[in-house]
Amino acid sequence: MKYKLLLSRADYTCRISLLFNGSMNQGEYEALMSDTTKRIDRHINWTEDEDHSPAVSFLVEVLSDPAYPLYAKGYLNRAAHKLTYVLIHRAEGRIYSLDLGKDHRNPDGALIGEKHKHRWSEQTGVKEAYVPEDITAAMHHPADVWEQFCAEANLIHDGNMNSPPSEQLDMML
Amino acid sequence: MNPTPCDYIAENMGELFDCSPLGGYTRIRTPYLYPDGDVIDLFLSQIDGGSSTLTDLGETLGWLRTQTVSERKTDRQRHLIEDVCLTHGVELYRGMLMLRVKNLDDMAEAISRLSQAALRVSDLWFTFRNQAAASINDEVEEFLADREIGFERGERLVGRSGRTWRVDFHTRTTEKSALINVLSTGSRPSARRLAEHTLATWHDLSNLRLGPESLRFVSLFDDELNIWAPEDFMLVEDVSEIAYWSRKDEFVELLTS
Repeated sequence: MKYKLLLSRADYTCRISLLFNGSMNQGEYEALMSDTTKRIDRHINWTEDEDHSPAVSFLVEVLSDPAYPLYAKGYLNRAAHKLTYVLIHRAEGRIYSLDLGKDHRNPDGALIGEKHKHRWSEQTGVKEAYVPEDITAAMHHPADVWEQFCAEANLIHDGNMNSPPSEQLDMML
Repeated sequence: MNPTPCDYIAENMGELFDCSPLGGYTRIRTPYLYPDGDVIDLFLSQIDGGSSTLTDLGETLGWLRTQTVSERKTDRQRHLIEDVCLTHGVELYRGMLMLRVKNLDDMAEAISRLSQAALRVSDLWFTFRNQAAASINDEVEEFLADREIGFERGERLVGRSGRTWRVDFHTRTTEKSALINVLSTGSRPSARRLAEHTLATWHDLSNLRLGPESLRFVSLFDDELNIWAPEDFMLVEDVSEIAYWSRKDEFVELLTS
């Protein structure tokens, strides 16, 4: 019983520090990522950015029972053939992401390839990436990639992802 | 047969640069990295009448956007980007870093310049709020200094209850002095707690609103994220004046009128 109480307090302290302090440890990160109450309760619409660049993006709040200050962001640059989905913690910044179409080099010098996923760690932040075998959809199908991204991130999306607006790059260059 | 850009890169720039056709462009994969280790790619448009465009297709600013919940660049970040572009002779157009390449012999220099610009712009990541070096209060401080509004930051004041309260800024202009509390957070539950804390602060310090040298109380909301509920504003509107960080001119007007 005493053991259970201590665990409960530790969990409480862990969540409080993650909600307010902004300095996360590995245990807190793993707890956040494995939390299955993370959810998005709205439709997702791709929009232009403030610069009207070739890319489109979205930003939505991720709700959760512990009320993590968490957001999901998407970035699609069809001209450059790149797609990125990100989970951003308000205090820590980017903590989890998937990149398609861009290469990555890990701190040990290894090139990871054009499909890679970043997971935050205490030691290296998001500098280390790996090849996610669970992502099989192609960059040109952002809704399919999103579905696979949500599955591994334990994220429930209760809504639709609408198609991105048409590309208008020809007149830019 | 004329050499292609890829031929030129293979012959003159060594194996560090990888070149391949992609859509209507030639993609040049550089040996340079964004701060998280992602590789910087550049894109060359088709040669057209002797001139072509080398660009990052907006990837550098796009990379920055995916590091933060912020959807807008700050004035300071814009200024730093302009400074980088000036240094390296690069144009920022619709979020893309770009420059013109008149002929293939200019290619090496153009790739070097644009890569450097992309590297330096991506380093703006270190100025983001979630980095230790910066916060919205730093932005407010910089803004007040730019507008030549005198201020003290983090002043401690004793309230009527005897409790000591720390206010974010105490400003002084020729017309009026003001106390400012900045309300900035990333989650709705803490937004409510922050509004309640601000209400308590203003209520306990309300004696400072009296007399000929009374202070104006300003609750400055960071409305970059749409997380504030109408009730949050209602909590503080009777005890302070409300300002929004997205409406900086109105904020200044409040402090100087």
